[in-house]
Amino acid sequence: MRWLLLVSAACIVAKQPLVVPPNDETTVLLVTGTLGHPLDGIARHPWFAVRRKGEQRWALYEVPSETSADDPFDRGRDYYGNPILHAVWRGEEADRAADCIDREAGAIIRDIDDHYIFYPGPNSNTFGDRVLRKCHLHASLPSTSVGKDWRGWIGAGVTSEGTGLQLETPIVGLKIGLKEGIELHVIGLSIGIDLWPPAIILPLGPGRLGFADR
Amino acid sequence: MKAVLIVLALAGTAHADRWSRMADEFSGAAWLHYELTGLDRVQDEGMRAASVKQLVLAGARLHGIVGHGHTLAYHIGLDLAAGGTVGQGGFAYDVALLPIGIAVRPNERAFFALGTGVGAMGGVPSLDGAVTLPIDLTAELGNGRVRLLGRARVSYVAGAPSRDGGAPSLPTGDELEAMLGVRIGHGYHEYGFSSGNGYFVAASYRELEGARFAGVTLGYSIDLASPTHL
Repeated sequence: MRWLLLVSAACIVAKQPLVVPPNDETTVLLVTGTLGHPLDGIARHPWFAVRRKGEQRWALYEVPSETSADDPFDRGRDYYGNPILHAVWRGEEADRAADCIDREAGAIIRDIDDHYIFYPGPNSNTFGDRVLRKCHLHASLPSTSVGKDWRGWIGAGVTSEGTGLQLETPIVGLKIGLKEGIELHVIGLSIGIDLWPPAIILPLGPGRLGFADR
Repeated sequence: MKAVLIVLALAGTAHADRWSRMADEFSGAAWLHYELTGLDRVQDEGMRAASVKQLVLAGARLHGIVGHGHTLAYHIGLDLAAGGTVGQGGFAYDVALLPIGIAVRPNERAFFALGTGVGAMGGVPSLDGAVTLPIDLTAELGNGRVRLLGRARVSYVAGAPSRDGGAPSLPTGDELEAMLGVRIGHGYHEYGFSSGNGYFVAASYRELEGARFAGVTLGYSIDLASPTHL
């Protein structure tokens, strides 16, 4: 019975700490936070936090718009709670990522704002996945970022992590990859097994039971 | 030109008023369950030996109701679950689309919902796959931290003669499924909507192929409701 409780709750081992890196190098962060009540247990929202070398403030790229903040994790009481840091890029890699996000994010945000559908997409998570793929930033959004796999009525391609393939429709989809493992999508909900770092992928809470994705 | 602009402005206002009135008149609610159910065969009826001994299913139930300013509402639902017949190591599935239904809302977040439609349920290789005609009654009560969740479903089965009349407790219908549980979580009232979420535990019961199954369902659910305009 204990395994049933664990699977139902979903939890992450070895989460990345929410530590703001020094500004001696350009830094790009991929962060997600929970939506408001009552969706806070099943849905997350992503943003890219970008800070150039020597700067103090962070530029935040997300749907519906670009903003800025002193703290890349604290979005205020009424916004996105329980932030999870999914990926960090630093140095030259971050310079390239920051240039690409600055160049591409505006058009993607406008396109998604024009066609926005809360569920199943395109939505803020579709934006996160599209930026990852467009800028070749090898990372994955969590399974509770519902809408990350939105590809329209039908779509196929390389995963955002870059080591797998996925085929998607709004009803059912499949992602298979070396790092991604096997992920089945049914009406936007994800379930599967992540091979590295190992975890069970669940459509609940932080989206996985096992080691943090990094 | 000025007259045209005035007419357009009035038309726009009327259009906005109409949407506003519709939003005031219509009310609705929705609920989503994630469920993990484990069932064990506890009793066979007579000489009939069920092929399934244990059944584990994981899935989601997404239901919604919409009404026109009062407590009676149209109800639609989609249930999807997959898993296995543990002892036999096979794949199992249980899905249903319930496009025809009616719901009663005694208060904002309480409801009794009846639905019917078409489904499919089976297990490979131990339980013959069948098309089902489910008649489903769902009830959820409680606005605070504790919420009572209940469901009962009678199904008529087609395409699997081995599963005909497989529910010993039913005078009619081929299969029976029921769940009764308690959710512990939170209730909210924000932005003019009532909502809640939390984890739940429930006792589950099933009758199929002449056998009785009992077990436990663990899950997470959310619910959201607009005012009923009573």
